[in-house]
Amino acid sequence: MRIDVNQPRPAPAAAASAMSRRVVRVTESAPVRWALTAAALGFTFLFLLLPLASVVVQAFAAGLDTYLSALADPDTLSAIRLTVIVALIAVALNVVFGVAAAWCIARFTFRGRNLLVTLIDVPFSVSPVIAGMVQVLLFGLRGWLGPLLQQHDLRVVFALPGIVLATVFVTLPFVARELIPLMEEQGAEEEEAAISLGASGWQTFLRVTLPNLRWGLLYGVLLCNARAMGEFGAVSVVSGHIRGATNTMPLQVEILFNDYQIEAAFAVASLLALLALVTLGAKLLLEWRHASELAATRRR
Amino acid sequence: MTQAGWISGWRKPSVLPGFGPALGTTLAYLSLFVIIPLGAMVLTTFAHGWADFVGAVLQPRVLAAFRVTLLCAFGAAALCALFGLLLAWVLVRYPFPGHRLVDAAVDLPFALPTAVAGIALTSLYAPNGWIGALLAPLGIQVAFTPLGILVALTFVGLPFVVRTVQPVLQDLEREQEEASAILGATRLQTFTRVIMPALAPALLTGFAMALARGLGEYGSVIFIAGNKPMVSEIVPLLIVIELEQFNYAGAAAIGTLMLAVAFVLLFAINRLQRWTRLQHAD
Amino acid sequence: MTAEISIRGVTRRFGAQAALDGVDLDVRPGELLALLGPSGSGKTTLLRIIAGLEWPDSGTVMFGGQDAMERHVRERGVGFVFQHYALFRHMTVFENVAFGLRVRPRAQRLPRAEIARRVHTLLNLVQLDWLADRYPNQLSGGQRQRVALARALAIEPRVLLLDEPFGALDAKVRKELRRWLRSLHENVKVTSVFVTHDQEEALELADRVVVMANGRIEQVGTPAEVYCTPASAFVHEFLGDTNRLECRVEGGRALLADGTPIGRAEDIMGSAIAYVRPHDVTLAPAADGPGIIRHVHAVGPLAQLVVELGGVEIDVAIPADSWARLGAGRGDRVAVTVQAGTLFPQRATRGIPMQPLLPASPILSLVRNNTVYSGRPIHHPE
Repeated sequence: MRIDVNQPRPAPAAAASAMSRRVVRVTESAPVRWALTAAALGFTFLFLLLPLASVVVQAFAAGLDTYLSALADPDTLSAIRLTVIVALIAVALNVVFGVAAAWCIARFTFRGRNLLVTLIDVPFSVSPVIAGMVQVLLFGLRGWLGPLLQQHDLRVVFALPGIVLATVFVTLPFVARELIPLMEEQGAEEEEAAISLGASGWQTFLRVTLPNLRWGLLYGVLLCNARAMGEFGAVSVVSGHIRGATNTMPLQVEILFNDYQIEAAFAVASLLALLALVTLGAKLLLEWRHASELAATRRR
Repeated sequence: MTQAGWISGWRKPSVLPGFGPALGTTLAYLSLFVIIPLGAMVLTTFAHGWADFVGAVLQPRVLAAFRVTLLCAFGAAALCALFGLLLAWVLVRYPFPGHRLVDAAVDLPFALPTAVAGIALTSLYAPNGWIGALLAPLGIQVAFTPLGILVALTFVGLPFVVRTVQPVLQDLEREQEEASAILGATRLQTFTRVIMPALAPALLTGFAMALARGLGEYGSVIFIAGNKPMVSEIVPLLIVIELEQFNYAGAAAIGTLMLAVAFVLLFAINRLQRWTRLQHAD
Repeated sequence: MTAEISIRGVTRRFGAQAALDGVDLDVRPGELLALLGPSGSGKTTLLRIIAGLEWPDSGTVMFGGQDAMERHVRERGVGFVFQHYALFRHMTVFENVAFGLRVRPRAQRLPRAEIARRVHTLLNLVQLDWLADRYPNQLSGGQRQRVALARALAIEPRVLLLDEPFGALDAKVRKELRRWLRSLHENVKVTSVFVTHDQEEALELADRVVVMANGRIEQVGTPAEVYCTPASAFVHEFLGDTNRLECRVEGGRALLADGTPIGRAEDIMGSAIAYVRPHDVTLAPAADGPGIIRHVHAVGPLAQLVVELGGVEIDVAIPADSWARLGAGRGDRVAVTVQAGTLFPQRATRGIPMQPLLPASPILSLVRNNTVYSGRPIHHPE
């Protein structure tokens, strides 16, 4: 086969030539780039940032005094306390679980490993309302264990244990899902080296594994905590909405909003929004400062 | 011990200790918090046989709720795919001032508690809200209609699409686009024939994740939906209502059906992610 | 004969650094031209500017007398083979090759059957027709390379540009593909420019070689020209092994630091750098000779030696049989003759040929030129 190099080619379009002098790389024309960028910026502002702004504006709509007195309300203070307690318990439990799960999944090869990974993901794909409902079905007055609990005068549903159980359910994957890819990426060589140098299992774990995981663990704790404090659907089903007793902050927001105490609702909401912003900020800082250590978790 | 373990056929030997306790803790924890509770739900559903399950699920109000939820979740996932692709594209390809702010803002729906998102969106899109007031003269009402559900679900689903498409777009070789241009393709041809096929698995994964989230979403929706039975009532809300009326079997039946849908989606997402990895493996 | 591609005063800066600095170059119709240089010399940037993937800050690129910069990359009619091939991974081999034909505007598009026929012709040309339905990730590196080539040729380019065409392949496949590409070029005769950092590749494959460094062209010439008469110290050092000897020129002789003479040079005085290729040094038995053999590596057709001469160590390569006849070993003294070399006086850009202390026979230098041309230096036995 012969390719004729002198074959005349179609003349370039006249319109394209004026533009193409400016073209540096293969990309879209400038008007298209500007239009897409403007659309993305507009969308971000209208759809993502405006809701946040409206929380702040409405929280302070009636002035700082109203804002502060809304937060000083005894029911609100009790909701804040309950939220912190629930989050502390749920995060602590999920850290223990996350480390144990990551240790067996990322360090050992065994049959059923993939199934286990899938099971850990289940809470992410189940409606939070179901997470709350299953507690009611188990521990509620007419649930499987309800009569037994009543005999011993124990309360799970409409009390702290139920709220904790529901919160643990929805936040269960967070820590494990950060640690597993991180440990897989780091590999077992350092631990094997420690064992070969005579370290015990615990020594290896505390001196080699844990220090390598610290930023990933912090990252997971951060996300887990944000979700635990902000969870609404699951907690809403098991809490019973008893003011001053079983209301967490998101539930308090709901009650105030439905009572038309708009400023108070947004005042409590502003605290949760602040929590979200702090979480995002800390997450960015971690991703920026410890980018290489966290690369695995963000790549998954 | 490790040797024997592998010979008995289910574990590869390792010098590292602690497999037993770690796996034991993991399984006990998962059973206590996830498997037994979900099992209890399925048992409650079928305690009185299939007939009750079918009867509970086939009620008009339940069917209407499933229709609204599915339609809105699908619509929202499609919107997420559209705007998520736009955001990912602009974030990866074009430098502009405020780049980092926009990138961080994408995570906002992940971080913001759903109840806060719910009341904020409601007050924005209510007829007297900042956006609602602009739409009202046009005869468009968003809050307290299925349109409101669509807005809320798009809000919560958006990060899924951006965060799955973004890394794939980042890793896309620019040379493929250059090759396409050199071979005579217009920019539009390059986009539809070279870029989109490469992004398709990630985009579909993001779509499926947004869909799964949308189907189960509760907190951000109930404020803005108006919750009119047969019109703007979502499935999770129906579960709450059934529970409040102590109709455990009915609630469990609806929950079991949702769980089945969630598992189908989870399976699809896993498949899609494997496809994404295959496409980008050499 | 007008140039197929004509480049004048092309400059391209990335920030403060000039990737290309006033480059002039003509590519002749039908030739196979190599852009040779170390990484960062600007060779890839130049290739991308010819393709239209990059734009120069100043200067012009003409294709067959027409300003190519008026044309968008997709209208230039160039075939480009990327270093990592950039095959479309979601398309089969067939679809990859057909792509350029399928995206043409409707008016110029060939009928489907014609496209299929053309693609199969090209796949036969690159001996891959049997893989038409495979996907790129099912192919070996060498096969991907040939698909990329077929894809580039499908649009009947007026020039074919190849960026490090063998860079991503292992050594054995690289050698085979090199021969194959040479014969393909002889069949197809399309004007071709390829970028490489491998001097052996450039010397073996190209009709002409362009040696680049720091965004400038150091020398353009046939492989024999650039190898035997390097225009600059850089070219001498970059092409082939060489000894770099600091010396001074006095009374028509080049002397090492301790006064040992190594060659004759007319018309210059003062300090200079002498470049001497290891195979341009010959040894002779001499119990009181100035050289001392310090290291011997004598496996294969060439004996590679390190000889101490006038306080410096020189790499020497002589044929194995010469080495055997010499009958010397480590620590023995030998007479050393530098048969050829190039002197670069300080601050001079052009080199001056250095003659042997005793005039070399004309036969010897003829043989040397021939062996160099083939890219495999074989020494004339003494």
